[in-house]
Amino acid sequence: MSSFEQFHIDFYQSNYTIEDQEEGCNSYGSDKNLCESRKRQAEEQPAGGAFVPSDMLLSPQSYSGSILQPACSPDAPSQLGYVDGFDEEPPLLEELGINFEHIWQKTLTVLNPMKPADGSIMNETDLTGPMVFCLALGATLLMAGKVHFGYVYGMSAIGCLAMHALLNLMSVSGVSHGCVASVLGYCLLPMVILSSAAVLFSLQGTPGTVLALFIIGWCSLSASKIFTSALAMEGQQLLIAYPCALLYGLFALLTVF
Amino acid sequence: QDWQVRYQQDTPVAPRFDVNAPDLYIPAMAFLTYILLAGLALGTQNRFSPDSLGLVASSALAWLLLEVLSVLLSLYLVTVSTDLTPIDLVAFAGYKYVGMIVGLVAGLLLGRVGYYVALTWCCLSIFVFMIRTLRLKLLSEAAAEGVLVRGAKNQLRMYLTMAIAAAQPLFMYWLTFHLLR
Repeated sequence: MSSFEQFHIDFYQSNYTIEDQEEGCNSYGSDKNLCESRKRQAEEQPAGGAFVPSDMLLSPQSYSGSILQPACSPDAPSQLGYVDGFDEEPPLLEELGINFEHIWQKTLTVLNPMKPADGSIMNETDLTGPMVFCLALGATLLMAGKVHFGYVYGMSAIGCLAMHALLNLMSVSGVSHGCVASVLGYCLLPMVILSSAAVLFSLQGTPGTVLALFIIGWCSLSASKIFTSALAMEGQQLLIAYPCALLYGLFALLTVF
Repeated sequence: QDWQVRYQQDTPVAPRFDVNAPDLYIPAMAFLTYILLAGLALGTQNRFSPDSLGLVASSALAWLLLEVLSVLLSLYLVTVSTDLTPIDLVAFAGYKYVGMIVGLVAGLLLGRVGYYVALTWCCLSIFVFMIRTLRLKLLSEAAAEGVLVRGAKNQLRMYLTMAIAAAQPLFMYWLTFHLLR
């Protein structure tokens, strides 16, 4: 069970998960190894529960409060857990699947493209961060006097579809739409920086062009880095970086002109 | 260097195994880069709006489809038995976008003179490329090896090859000159 140690992702520091883990382990004693290792991990980290992402679960019923199943504890009297007792409901953010720690980690990964990325961070498709970044881009464009929300939305949708098709054709293992959308949305953060610079000074001219090219390179480098590490495509980073650069170039065109 | 397609089989081979097999990566990327560069060219002349980007994209796509359909129609009329699939034709038609991109970049950086020089060079090179590639696919075996076989059918095929290859520079000029006014 060494893979459990790799996924030391603290989901949410709350007492709820530990109590429920023990309850779950007691009532579903079939997976003895699973319960014992979880209990060991719960003892190692008494403050927060070591939470395994849902795609590593072997017996989903013994885990309540997982991201995808905001349902009840296993020995609750009613079948619809969240209708039952107010205390046993998972916290709202956990139910929605918004994990600030993960969002912050992914943002830091994007902001530092030189550091090699961990391929496992993109296992959960999280669209909250990308939504925030798209809205931030639209807001900074608005401050520069351009109302282009519809264009940002349309171009990101078409870009996600195109990248999804390309990645499925180029990689041995496929990707899902959510993963592609999540990665592309996170790597939109430097573009927000470019458009906030556009508020302060006009980007038409040589320094603006140089800055735009630098930002496009930054975005596509981090996006291709995450894609190649998540899909295990070595040697193809430049091939993935070029379509990403084209997509972010479209956004840069919107920002500059 | 040997530019011929290896793996002469009935089933198409993926580009992982055959370096010379036509794949749609370069044409697709070249098409998208052309749209981007068109937007950049319009932007430097203060003619840019996001609508015009979509306009350039759809008109280029329409011309591409028109060209592929007309090549398919002429192949059908000449009744040549070839293993060219429509996707192959899309790939071949997309290779001229690389030349267009070179011409546009030269035009943006060096002015009209640079544009014309670069475009002429790219037109010639794509003309030669199309003739060589189509000769292998369309003409009969004897003519492909250089022996001139007289006959109405072969002459017709030769004219068809020349026409397809000559259409490429025309399209290249048509789709770029209005961007560098």
